[in-house]
Amino acid sequence: MSFSRWLRSNSEHALLRDAQGRMAAKYGANPPARPHGLKDRWWRQVFAPVYRVLPWRFRRVAMQSIPGSHRRGWPKPEYLPPGQQ
Amino acid sequence: MKIVVIGGGAAGLGVAGAAKGQDPSVETVVYTEYEDVAYSPCGIPFVHGKEIESFEKLFLATKQQYVDAGVDVHYETTVESIDTRSKTIKVSGEGEVGYDRLVLATGWNYDTPDVPGTDLGGIYHVKNIREAMQWDEFMDTVKSAVVVESGPIAMEMVSALQHRGIDVTLVDPGPWPMADVIDPDIVEPVRADWERSGVHLKFGERVTAFRGTSTLTHVTTSFGDVEAQLAVIGSHKVANSALAHAAGITLGSTGGIVVDPHMRTSDPDVYAAGDCAEIPHGVSNVPLQGLSGSHAYAQGKTAGINAAGGNRVHNPVFVPWGMLAGEWMIGGVSFGETLATALGLPFVTGVADGITRARYYPGVKPIKVKLLADPGTRRLIGAQMIGGEGIKERADFLGIVARTGVTVDTLATMENVYSPAIGALNEPIAMAAQALVAKL
Repeated sequence: MSFSRWLRSNSEHALLRDAQGRMAAKYGANPPARPHGLKDRWWRQVFAPVYRVLPWRFRRVAMQSIPGSHRRGWPKPEYLPPGQQ
Repeated sequence: MKIVVIGGGAAGLGVAGAAKGQDPSVETVVYTEYEDVAYSPCGIPFVHGKEIESFEKLFLATKQQYVDAGVDVHYETTVESIDTRSKTIKVSGEGEVGYDRLVLATGWNYDTPDVPGTDLGGIYHVKNIREAMQWDEFMDTVKSAVVVESGPIAMEMVSALQHRGIDVTLVDPGPWPMADVIDPDIVEPVRADWERSGVHLKFGERVTAFRGTSTLTHVTTSFGDVEAQLAVIGSHKVANSALAHAAGITLGSTGGIVVDPHMRTSDPDVYAAGDCAEIPHGVSNVPLQGLSGSHAYAQGKTAGINAAGGNRVHNPVFVPWGMLAGEWMIGGVSFGETLATALGLPFVTGVADGITRARYYPGVKPIKVKLLADPGTRRLIGAQMIGGEGIKERADFLGIVARTGVTVDTLATMENVYSPAIGALNEPIAMAAQALVAKL
Protein backbone atom coordinates (compact mmCIF):
# COMPACT_ATOMS: atom_id res chain seq x y z
CA MET A 1 0.00 0.00 0.00
CA SER A 2 1.35 3.41 -0.98
CA PHE A 3 1.93 6.08 1.66
CA SER A 4 -0.83 8.30 0.26
CA ARG A 5 -3.33 5.43 0.35
CA TRP A 6 -2.31 4.49 3.88
CA LEU A 7 -2.60 8.12 5.01
CA ARG A 8 -5.97 8.61 3.36
CA SER A 9 -7.42 5.34 4.63
CA ASN A 10 -6.44 6.00 8.24
CA SER A 11 -7.26 9.70 8.31
CA GLU A 12 -10.60 9.17 6.55
CA HIS A 13 -11.60 6.51 9.06
CA ALA A 14 -10.61 8.65 12.05
CA LEU A 15 -12.28 11.81 10.75
CA LEU A 16 -15.48 9.97 9.85
CA ARG A 17 -15.73 8.37 13.31
CA ASP A 18 -15.13 11.79 14.88
CA ALA A 19 -17.83 13.34 12.69
CA GLN A 20 -20.21 10.46 13.43
CA GLY A 21 -19.72 11.12 17.15
CA ARG A 22 -20.71 14.74 16.61
CA MET A 23 -23.72 13.79 14.50
CA ALA A 24 -24.78 11.20 17.08
CA ALA A 25 -24.68 13.87 19.80
CA LYS A 26 -26.62 16.33 17.62
CA TYR A 27 -29.36 13.92 16.55
CA GLY A 28 -29.48 11.58 19.54
CA ALA A 29 -28.25 8.65 17.47
CA ASN A 30 -26.11 5.66 18.37
CA PRO A 31 -22.48 6.87 18.82
CA PRO A 32 -19.59 5.13 17.04
CA ALA A 33 -17.74 2.37 18.88
CA ARG A 34 -14.82 3.44 21.02
CA PRO A 35 -11.31 3.23 19.52
CA HIS A 36 -9.70 -0.21 19.64
CA GLY A 37 -5.95 -0.45 20.15
CA LEU A 38 -3.14 2.05 20.18
CA LYS A 39 -3.21 2.77 16.44
CA ASP A 40 -6.93 3.52 16.39
CA ARG A 41 -6.58 5.69 19.49
CA TRP A 42 -3.77 7.70 17.94
CA TRP A 43 -5.72 8.42 14.78
CA ARG A 44 -9.00 9.18 16.54
CA GLN A 45 -7.82 10.86 19.74
CA VAL A 46 -4.74 12.71 18.47
CA PHE A 47 -4.94 13.12 14.69
CA ALA A 48 -8.66 13.96 14.41
CA PRO A 49 -8.70 16.72 17.08
CA VAL A 50 -5.50 18.26 15.67
CA TYR A 51 -6.97 18.20 12.13
CA ARG A 52 -10.08 19.95 13.36
CA VAL A 53 -8.22 22.91 14.84
CA LEU A 54 -6.17 23.52 11.70
CA PRO A 55 -7.42 26.42 9.55
CA TRP A 56 -9.58 25.30 6.59
CA ARG A 57 -7.10 26.80 4.13
CA PHE A 58 -4.31 24.63 5.51
CA ARG A 59 -6.48 21.51 5.47
CA ARG A 60 -7.46 22.23 1.88
CA VAL A 61 -3.83 22.66 0.77
CA ALA A 62 -2.91 19.39 2.52
CA MET A 63 -5.74 17.50 0.77
CA GLN A 64 -4.87 18.93 -2.62
CA SER A 65 -1.19 18.07 -2.25
CA ILE A 66 -1.86 14.34 -2.08
CA PRO A 67 -1.05 12.70 -5.45
CA GLY A 68 -4.04 11.60 -7.53
CA SER A 69 -6.39 12.26 -10.44
CA HIS A 70 -7.28 15.73 -9.11
CA ARG A 71 -3.81 16.91 -10.07
CA ARG A 72 -4.11 15.89 -13.72
CA GLY A 73 -5.69 19.03 -15.20
CA TRP A 74 -9.40 18.48 -14.53
CA PRO A 75 -11.79 21.34 -15.42
CA LYS A 76 -12.51 23.88 -12.72
CA PRO A 77 -16.19 24.41 -11.77
CA GLU A 78 -18.07 25.76 -14.75
CA TYR A 79 -19.68 28.58 -12.75
CA LEU A 80 -16.31 30.28 -12.27
CA PRO A 81 -15.57 33.20 -14.63
CA PRO A 82 -13.42 32.18 -17.62
CA GLY A 83 -10.39 33.94 -16.16
CA GLN A 84 -10.46 31.75 -13.04
CA GLN A 85 -10.90 28.43 -14.84
CA MET B 1 -6.75 1.12 -34.97
CA LYS B 2 -7.21 -1.66 -32.42
CA ILE B 3 -8.73 -0.82 -29.05
CA VAL B 4 -8.52 -3.51 -26.41
CA VAL B 5 -10.82 -3.22 -23.39
CA ILE B 6 -10.25 -5.21 -20.21
CA GLY B 7 -13.57 -5.61 -18.41
CA GLY B 8 -17.13 -6.13 -19.61
CA GLY B 9 -19.16 -4.13 -17.11
CA ALA B 10 -20.85 -0.77 -17.58
CA ALA B 11 -17.55 1.03 -18.17
CA GLY B 12 -16.12 -1.57 -20.56
CA LEU B 13 -19.23 -1.77 -22.72
CA GLY B 14 -19.51 2.03 -22.61
CA VAL B 15 -15.99 2.17 -24.04
CA ALA B 16 -16.75 -0.32 -26.81
CA GLY B 17 -19.95 1.38 -27.93
CA ALA B 18 -18.52 4.90 -27.80
CA ALA B 19 -15.34 3.91 -29.66
CA LYS B 20 -17.42 2.39 -32.47
CA GLY B 21 -19.61 5.48 -32.48
CA GLN B 22 -16.59 7.75 -32.76
CA ASP B 23 -14.92 5.73 -35.51
CA PRO B 24 -16.77 2.70 -36.91
CA SER B 25 -13.54 1.42 -38.46
CA VAL B 26 -11.81 0.75 -35.13
CA GLU B 27 -11.36 -2.86 -34.11
CA THR B 28 -12.77 -3.23 -30.60
CA VAL B 29 -11.96 -6.29 -28.51
CA VAL B 30 -13.35 -6.76 -25.00
CA TYR B 31 -11.95 -9.30 -22.54
CA THR B 32 -14.03 -10.39 -19.59
CA GLU B 33 -13.39 -13.18 -17.09
CA TYR B 34 -17.13 -13.68 -16.69
CA GLU B 35 -19.68 -15.61 -18.74
CA ASP B 36 -21.70 -12.50 -19.60
CA VAL B 37 -21.41 -8.79 -20.23
CA ALA B 38 -23.81 -5.90 -19.95
CA TYR B 39 -26.17 -6.90 -17.22
CA SER B 40 -27.29 -4.91 -14.25
CA PRO B 41 -25.59 -6.27 -11.11
CA CYS B 42 -27.43 -3.59 -9.13
CA GLY B 43 -30.64 -5.44 -9.98
CA ILE B 44 -29.55 -8.71 -8.37
CA PRO B 45 -30.95 -7.93 -4.88
CA PHE B 46 -34.37 -7.27 -6.40
CA VAL B 47 -34.45 -10.70 -8.05
CA HIS B 48 -33.44 -12.28 -4.73
CA GLY B 49 -36.24 -10.29 -3.09
CA LYS B 50 -38.67 -11.48 -5.81
CA GLU B 51 -39.59 -7.97 -6.92
CA ILE B 52 -38.09 -8.92 -10.32
CA GLU B 53 -39.21 -12.29 -11.60
CA SER B 54 -35.99 -13.54 -13.20
CA PHE B 55 -32.31 -12.82 -13.70
CA GLU B 56 -32.80 -12.81 -17.48
CA LYS B 57 -34.60 -9.46 -17.07
CA LEU B 58 -31.32 -7.90 -15.93
CA PHE B 59 -29.52 -8.41 -19.24
CA LEU B 60 -29.32 -5.23 -21.29
CA ALA B 61 -28.38 -6.86 -24.59
CA THR B 62 -27.80 -10.29 -26.09
CA LYS B 63 -24.39 -11.65 -27.08
CA GLN B 64 -25.50 -11.54 -30.72
CA GLN B 65 -26.19 -7.81 -30.45
CA TYR B 66 -22.52 -7.22 -29.64
CA VAL B 67 -21.48 -9.40 -32.56
CA ASP B 68 -23.80 -7.39 -34.82
CA ALA B 69 -22.35 -4.14 -33.48
CA GLY B 70 -18.85 -5.29 -34.38
CA VAL B 71 -17.66 -5.63 -30.80
CA ASP B 72 -15.55 -8.77 -30.34
CA VAL B 73 -16.19 -9.98 -26.79
CA HIS B 74 -13.96 -12.74 -25.38
CA TYR B 75 -15.91 -14.35 -22.52
CA GLU B 76 -14.38 -16.23 -19.57
CA THR B 77 -10.96 -14.99 -20.59
CA THR B 78 -8.42 -13.71 -18.11
CA VAL B 79 -5.88 -11.03 -18.92
CA GLU B 80 -2.77 -11.94 -16.95
CA SER B 81 -0.51 -8.96 -17.54
CA ILE B 82 0.11 -5.77 -19.49
CA ASP B 83 3.36 -4.70 -21.15
CA THR B 84 3.00 -1.01 -21.93
CA ARG B 85 6.41 -0.83 -23.67
CA SER B 86 5.54 -3.43 -26.32
CA LYS B 87 1.83 -2.44 -26.19
CA THR B 88 0.74 -6.00 -25.62
CA ILE B 89 -1.33 -7.87 -23.07
CA LYS B 90 -0.89 -11.52 -22.09
CA VAL B 91 -4.19 -13.36 -22.34
CA SER B 92 -4.84 -16.77 -20.81
CA GLY B 93 -5.23 -19.29 -23.64
CA GLU B 94 -4.49 -16.72 -26.36
CA GLY B 95 -0.93 -15.60 -25.63
CA GLU B 96 0.27 -12.10 -26.40
CA VAL B 97 -2.22 -9.72 -27.96
CA GLY B 98 -1.24 -6.31 -29.30
CA TYR B 99 -3.15 -3.05 -28.96
CA ASP B 100 -2.99 0.51 -30.20
CA ARG B 101 -5.04 1.80 -27.28
CA LEU B 102 -5.84 -0.11 -24.13
CA VAL B 103 -8.75 0.72 -21.83
CA LEU B 104 -8.83 -0.65 -18.29
CA ALA B 105 -12.36 -1.20 -17.02
CA THR B 106 -11.51 -3.84 -14.47
CA GLY B 107 -14.10 -2.68 -11.95
CA TRP B 108 -14.08 -3.34 -8.25
CA ASN B 109 -13.92 -5.96 -5.53
CA TYR B 110 -15.50 -6.10 -2.10
CA ASP B 111 -13.22 -5.14 0.77
CA THR B 112 -13.80 -8.53 2.39
CA PRO B 113 -13.02 -8.60 6.14
CA ASP B 114 -9.62 -10.14 6.86
CA VAL B 115 -10.93 -12.75 9.33
CA PRO B 116 -10.80 -16.58 9.53
CA GLY B 117 -13.28 -18.58 7.50
CA THR B 118 -13.77 -16.38 4.43
CA ASP B 119 -13.21 -19.47 2.23
CA LEU B 120 -16.24 -21.32 3.64
CA GLY B 121 -19.29 -22.06 1.54
CA GLY B 122 -22.24 -19.82 2.30
CA ILE B 123 -20.34 -16.53 2.02
CA TYR B 124 -21.90 -14.51 -0.76
CA HIS B 125 -20.42 -11.55 -2.61
CA VAL B 126 -23.30 -10.09 -4.65
CA LYS B 127 -21.81 -9.31 -8.05
CA ASN B 128 -21.78 -12.06 -10.69
CA ILE B 129 -25.14 -12.89 -12.23
CA ARG B 130 -24.44 -16.60 -12.88
CA GLU B 131 -23.34 -17.07 -9.29
CA ALA B 132 -26.40 -15.09 -8.17
CA MET B 133 -28.63 -17.61 -9.95
CA GLN B 134 -27.08 -20.42 -7.90
CA TRP B 135 -27.23 -18.39 -4.69
CA ASP B 136 -30.89 -17.72 -5.35
CA GLU B 137 -31.61 -21.47 -5.25
CA PHE B 138 -29.46 -21.81 -2.12
CA MET B 139 -31.47 -19.08 -0.39
CA ASP B 140 -34.52 -21.35 -0.46
CA THR B 141 -32.69 -23.52 2.10
CA VAL B 142 -31.55 -20.64 4.34
CA LYS B 143 -33.26 -19.88 7.64
CA SER B 144 -30.97 -17.19 8.97
CA ALA B 145 -28.44 -14.86 7.37
CA VAL B 146 -25.92 -12.24 8.41
CA VAL B 147 -25.33 -9.16 6.29
CA VAL B 148 -21.79 -7.93 6.89
CA GLU B 149 -21.62 -4.12 6.72
CA SER B 150 -24.26 -1.90 5.18
CA GLY B 151 -22.99 -0.83 1.78
CA PRO B 152 -25.63 0.10 -0.83
CA ILE B 153 -26.13 -3.44 -2.18
CA ALA B 154 -26.20 -4.80 1.38
CA MET B 155 -28.96 -2.33 2.29
CA GLU B 156 -31.02 -3.76 -0.55
CA MET B 157 -30.09 -7.31 0.40
CA VAL B 158 -31.46 -6.80 3.92
CA SER B 159 -34.89 -6.11 2.41
CA ALA B 160 -34.50 -8.91 -0.15
CA LEU B 161 -33.71 -11.52 2.50
CA GLN B 162 -36.61 -10.31 4.63
CA HIS B 163 -38.97 -10.63 1.68
CA ARG B 164 -37.95 -14.29 1.45
CA GLY B 165 -38.76 -14.86 5.12
CA ILE B 166 -35.11 -15.24 6.15
CA ASP B 167 -34.14 -14.12 9.66
CA VAL B 168 -31.60 -11.29 9.10
CA THR B 169 -28.86 -9.91 11.32
CA LEU B 170 -26.98 -6.82 10.13
CA VAL B 171 -23.49 -6.44 11.60
CA ASP B 172 -21.83 -3.11 10.90
CA PRO B 173 -18.85 -1.39 12.57
CA GLY B 174 -20.48 1.98 11.90
CA PRO B 175 -23.02 3.51 14.28
CA TRP B 176 -25.98 3.53 11.82
CA PRO B 177 -26.67 2.26 8.29
CA MET B 178 -24.22 3.54 5.66
CA ALA B 179 -22.81 5.83 8.32
CA ASP B 180 -19.89 7.00 6.17
CA VAL B 181 -22.35 8.46 3.64
CA ILE B 182 -25.77 9.08 5.19
CA ASP B 183 -26.62 11.31 8.12
CA PRO B 184 -28.37 9.71 11.11
CA ASP B 185 -31.48 11.91 10.92
CA ILE B 186 -31.99 10.96 7.27
CA VAL B 187 -31.56 7.21 7.68
CA GLU B 188 -33.40 6.90 11.00
CA PRO B 189 -36.77 5.93 9.43
CA VAL B 190 -35.03 3.06 7.61
CA ARG B 191 -33.29 1.89 10.77
CA ALA B 192 -36.53 2.09 12.76
CA ASP B 193 -38.47 0.19 10.08
CA TRP B 194 -35.89 -2.58 10.02
CA GLU B 195 -35.98 -2.83 13.81
CA ARG B 196 -39.78 -2.96 13.82
CA SER B 197 -39.82 -5.64 11.15
CA GLY B 198 -37.47 -7.91 13.09
CA VAL B 199 -34.04 -7.29 11.56
CA HIS B 200 -31.41 -7.79 14.29
CA LEU B 201 -29.28 -4.66 14.13
CA LYS B 202 -25.75 -4.82 15.49
CA PHE B 203 -24.14 -1.44 14.89
CA GLY B 204 -20.72 -0.65 16.29
CA GLU B 205 -19.87 -4.35 16.04
CA ARG B 206 -17.62 -6.26 13.67
CA VAL B 207 -17.34 -9.79 12.33
CA THR B 208 -14.31 -11.57 13.78
CA ALA B 209 -14.71 -15.02 12.13
CA PHE B 210 -16.89 -17.17 9.92
CA ARG B 211 -17.42 -20.63 11.47
CA GLY B 212 -18.35 -24.00 10.01
CA THR B 213 -16.79 -27.16 8.63
CA SER B 214 -17.11 -26.79 4.89
CA THR B 215 -20.06 -24.40 4.85
CA LEU B 216 -21.05 -21.59 7.15
CA THR B 217 -22.98 -22.38 10.33
CA HIS B 218 -22.14 -19.40 12.58
CA VAL B 219 -20.76 -15.91 12.28
CA THR B 220 -18.65 -14.82 15.23
CA THR B 221 -18.84 -11.13 16.01
CA SER B 222 -17.55 -8.85 18.72
CA PHE B 223 -20.87 -9.30 20.57
CA GLY B 224 -21.10 -13.09 20.23
CA ASP B 225 -22.08 -15.86 17.80
CA VAL B 226 -24.95 -15.63 15.32
CA GLU B 227 -26.35 -18.76 13.70
CA ALA B 228 -26.33 -18.28 9.94
CA GLN B 229 -26.23 -20.44 6.84
CA LEU B 230 -25.59 -17.41 4.65
CA ALA B 231 -23.36 -14.35 5.04
CA VAL B 232 -23.77 -11.54 2.53
CA ILE B 233 -20.66 -9.38 2.26
CA GLY B 234 -21.74 -5.76 1.94
CA SER B 235 -18.47 -3.96 2.55
CA HIS B 236 -17.40 -1.04 0.41
CA LYS B 237 -15.94 -1.24 -3.08
CA VAL B 238 -12.18 -1.26 -3.60
CA ALA B 239 -10.65 -0.68 -7.00
CA ASN B 240 -9.59 -3.77 -8.93
CA SER B 241 -6.37 -2.12 -10.04
CA ALA B 242 -3.80 -4.88 -9.46
CA LEU B 243 -3.22 -5.45 -13.19
CA ALA B 244 -2.59 -1.73 -13.73
CA HIS B 245 -0.31 -1.51 -10.70
CA ALA B 246 1.75 -4.48 -11.90
CA ALA B 247 2.14 -2.73 -15.27
CA GLY B 248 3.57 0.36 -13.58
CA ILE B 249 0.49 2.54 -14.11
CA THR B 250 0.07 5.16 -11.39
CA LEU B 251 -2.52 4.61 -8.68
CA GLY B 252 -3.93 7.31 -6.40
CA SER B 253 -4.79 7.64 -2.73
CA THR B 254 -8.04 5.70 -3.22
CA GLY B 255 -6.21 2.72 -4.74
CA GLY B 256 -7.88 3.60 -8.04
CA ILE B 257 -6.06 4.35 -11.29
CA VAL B 258 -5.08 8.00 -11.70
CA VAL B 259 -6.66 9.51 -14.82
CA ASP B 260 -6.86 12.91 -16.49
CA PRO B 261 -10.17 14.39 -17.76
CA HIS B 262 -9.76 12.41 -21.01
CA MET B 263 -9.61 9.27 -18.80
CA ARG B 264 -6.00 8.79 -19.86
CA THR B 265 -3.72 7.11 -17.32
CA SER B 266 -0.03 7.77 -16.64
CA ASP B 267 0.65 5.84 -19.89
CA PRO B 268 -0.51 7.89 -22.90
CA ASP B 269 -1.92 4.85 -24.74
CA VAL B 270 -3.75 3.42 -21.75
CA TYR B 271 -7.11 4.73 -20.52
CA ALA B 272 -9.15 3.72 -17.48
CA ALA B 273 -12.83 4.07 -16.62
CA GLY B 274 -15.33 3.02 -13.98
CA ASP B 275 -14.70 1.67 -10.52
CA CYS B 276 -11.03 0.89 -11.15
CA ALA B 277 -10.31 4.61 -11.68
CA GLU B 278 -10.52 7.62 -9.37
CA ILE B 279 -12.28 10.85 -10.32
CA PRO B 280 -12.08 14.24 -8.56
CA HIS B 281 -15.09 15.48 -6.62
CA GLY B 282 -16.60 18.69 -7.96
CA VAL B 283 -16.90 20.42 -4.58
CA SER B 284 -13.82 19.27 -2.67
CA ASN B 285 -11.55 18.29 -5.61
CA VAL B 286 -10.66 15.18 -3.58
CA PRO B 287 -10.51 12.06 -5.79
CA LEU B 288 -13.24 9.43 -5.34
CA GLN B 289 -13.49 5.79 -6.38
CA GLY B 290 -16.40 3.37 -6.34
CA LEU B 291 -19.34 5.35 -7.70
CA SER B 292 -22.49 4.13 -9.44
CA GLY B 293 -23.05 2.23 -12.68
CA SER B 294 -24.14 5.44 -14.41
CA HIS B 295 -20.82 7.06 -13.51
CA ALA B 296 -18.92 4.02 -14.80
CA TYR B 297 -20.86 4.06 -18.08
CA ALA B 298 -20.29 7.80 -18.61
CA GLN B 299 -16.58 7.44 -17.90
CA GLY B 300 -16.44 4.51 -20.30
CA LYS B 301 -17.99 6.61 -23.05
CA THR B 302 -15.43 9.38 -22.49
CA ALA B 303 -12.57 6.88 -22.56
CA GLY B 304 -13.96 5.16 -25.67
CA ILE B 305 -14.39 8.39 -27.64
CA ASN B 306 -10.89 9.58 -26.76
CA ALA B 307 -9.25 6.20 -27.34
CA ALA B 308 -10.80 6.19 -30.83
CA GLY B 309 -9.33 9.57 -31.67
CA GLY B 310 -12.07 11.90 -30.43
CA ASN B 311 -11.88 14.66 -27.85
CA ARG B 312 -14.27 14.53 -24.93
CA VAL B 313 -13.48 16.05 -21.54
CA HIS B 314 -15.05 14.48 -18.47
CA ASN B 315 -16.18 16.70 -15.62
CA PRO B 316 -15.45 16.28 -11.93
CA VAL B 317 -18.35 14.47 -10.25
CA PHE B 318 -21.03 15.78 -7.88
CA VAL B 319 -22.40 12.28 -7.25
CA PRO B 320 -26.19 12.36 -7.23
CA TRP B 321 -27.25 9.06 -5.69
CA GLY B 322 -30.37 7.28 -4.56
CA MET B 323 -31.61 3.88 -3.54
CA LEU B 324 -34.45 1.89 -2.10
CA ALA B 325 -34.09 0.94 1.57
CA GLY B 326 -37.04 -1.03 2.90
CA GLU B 327 -40.15 1.04 2.26
CA TRP B 328 -38.14 4.22 1.82
CA MET B 329 -36.20 5.94 -0.91
CA ILE B 330 -33.06 7.70 0.23
CA GLY B 331 -30.66 9.78 -1.78
CA GLY B 332 -28.68 12.95 -2.09
CA VAL B 333 -25.86 14.70 -3.81
CA SER B 334 -22.25 15.38 -2.82
CA PHE B 335 -21.91 16.08 0.90
CA GLY B 336 -24.08 15.21 3.85
CA GLU B 337 -23.47 16.72 7.26
CA THR B 338 -21.36 13.77 8.41
CA LEU B 339 -18.99 13.86 5.47
CA ALA B 340 -18.75 17.67 5.44
CA THR B 341 -17.99 17.63 9.18
CA ALA B 342 -15.35 14.94 8.70
CA LEU B 343 -13.61 16.92 6.00
CA GLY B 344 -14.00 20.17 7.93
CA LEU B 345 -15.88 21.99 5.16
CA PRO B 346 -17.67 25.15 6.30
CA PHE B 347 -21.44 24.67 5.78
CA VAL B 348 -24.93 25.71 6.86
CA THR B 349 -27.95 23.40 6.67
CA GLY B 350 -31.62 23.91 5.91
CA VAL B 351 -34.16 21.15 6.49
CA ALA B 352 -37.79 20.78 5.42
CA ASP B 353 -40.42 18.08 5.85
CA GLY B 354 -42.84 18.07 2.95
CA ILE B 355 -45.09 15.86 0.88
CA THR B 356 -44.77 14.44 -2.62
CA ARG B 357 -48.30 15.11 -3.93
CA ALA B 358 -51.28 17.21 -2.86
CA ARG B 359 -52.12 16.30 0.74
CA TYR B 360 -55.54 14.96 -0.28
CA TYR B 361 -54.36 12.93 -3.27
CA PRO B 362 -54.17 9.13 -2.87
CA GLY B 363 -50.64 7.83 -2.52
CA VAL B 364 -49.20 11.05 -1.06
CA LYS B 365 -45.94 10.31 0.75
CA PRO B 366 -43.75 12.24 3.19
CA ILE B 367 -40.38 13.57 2.09
CA LYS B 368 -37.57 15.19 4.04
CA VAL B 369 -34.95 17.36 2.34
CA LYS B 370 -31.75 18.62 3.93
CA LEU B 371 -29.58 21.06 1.99
CA LEU B 372 -26.01 22.10 2.78
CA ALA B 373 -24.53 25.36 1.47
CA ASP B 374 -21.18 27.09 1.72
CA PRO B 375 -21.88 30.19 3.85
CA GLY B 376 -19.29 32.19 1.90
CA THR B 377 -20.47 31.58 -1.66
CA ARG B 378 -24.07 30.56 -0.74
CA ARG B 379 -23.72 27.71 -3.26
CA LEU B 380 -25.10 24.24 -2.66
CA ILE B 381 -22.44 21.76 -1.57
CA GLY B 382 -24.70 18.84 -0.75
CA ALA B 383 -28.11 17.42 0.01
CA GLN B 384 -29.67 14.38 1.63
CA MET B 385 -33.26 13.21 1.31
CA ILE B 386 -35.59 10.49 2.43
CA GLY B 387 -39.15 9.94 1.30
CA GLY B 388 -41.71 7.67 -0.22
CA GLU B 389 -41.09 8.80 -3.81
CA GLY B 390 -39.47 11.50 -5.95
CA ILE B 391 -35.96 11.15 -4.57
CA LYS B 392 -34.12 10.27 -7.78
CA GLU B 393 -35.42 13.26 -9.76
CA ARG B 394 -34.61 15.68 -6.95
CA ALA B 395 -31.10 14.21 -6.55
CA ASP B 396 -30.44 14.58 -10.29
CA PHE B 397 -31.73 18.17 -10.20
CA LEU B 398 -29.63 19.07 -7.15
CA GLY B 399 -26.58 17.50 -8.82
CA ILE B 400 -26.90 20.05 -11.63
CA VAL B 401 -27.58 22.81 -9.07
CA ALA B 402 -24.28 22.00 -7.34
CA ARG B 403 -22.39 21.66 -10.61
CA THR B 404 -23.58 24.96 -12.06
CA GLY B 405 -23.21 26.94 -8.84
CA VAL B 406 -26.85 27.94 -8.35
CA THR B 407 -27.14 29.66 -4.98
CA VAL B 408 -29.58 28.70 -2.24
CA ASP B 409 -31.16 32.14 -2.66
CA THR B 410 -32.23 31.10 -6.15
CA LEU B 411 -33.41 27.71 -4.90
CA ALA B 412 -35.46 29.41 -2.17
CA THR B 413 -37.49 31.21 -4.84
CA MET B 414 -37.57 28.42 -7.43
CA GLU B 415 -40.71 27.75 -9.43
CA ASN B 416 -42.16 24.28 -9.09
CA VAL B 417 -44.73 22.04 -10.72
CA TYR B 418 -48.01 21.89 -8.85
CA SER B 419 -50.40 19.18 -9.91
CA PRO B 420 -52.24 17.24 -7.18
CA ALA B 421 -51.35 13.79 -8.51
CA ILE B 422 -47.63 14.42 -8.98
CA GLY B 423 -46.54 17.43 -6.93
CA ALA B 424 -47.48 19.43 -3.85
CA LEU B 425 -48.02 23.17 -3.69
CA ASN B 426 -44.84 23.66 -1.69
CA GLU B 427 -41.70 22.09 -3.13
CA PRO B 428 -39.63 20.62 -0.25
CA ILE B 429 -36.36 21.71 -1.89
CA ALA B 430 -37.56 25.32 -1.91
CA MET B 431 -38.74 25.00 1.70
CA ALA B 432 -35.34 23.63 2.80
CA ALA B 433 -33.57 26.40 0.89
CA GLN B 434 -35.76 29.03 2.59
CA ALA B 435 -34.86 27.55 5.98
CA LEU B 436 -31.19 27.62 5.01
CA VAL B 437 -31.27 31.22 3.74
CA ALA B 438 -32.88 32.29 7.01
CA LYS B 439 -29.73 31.07 8.82
CA LEU B 440 -27.24 32.87 6.56
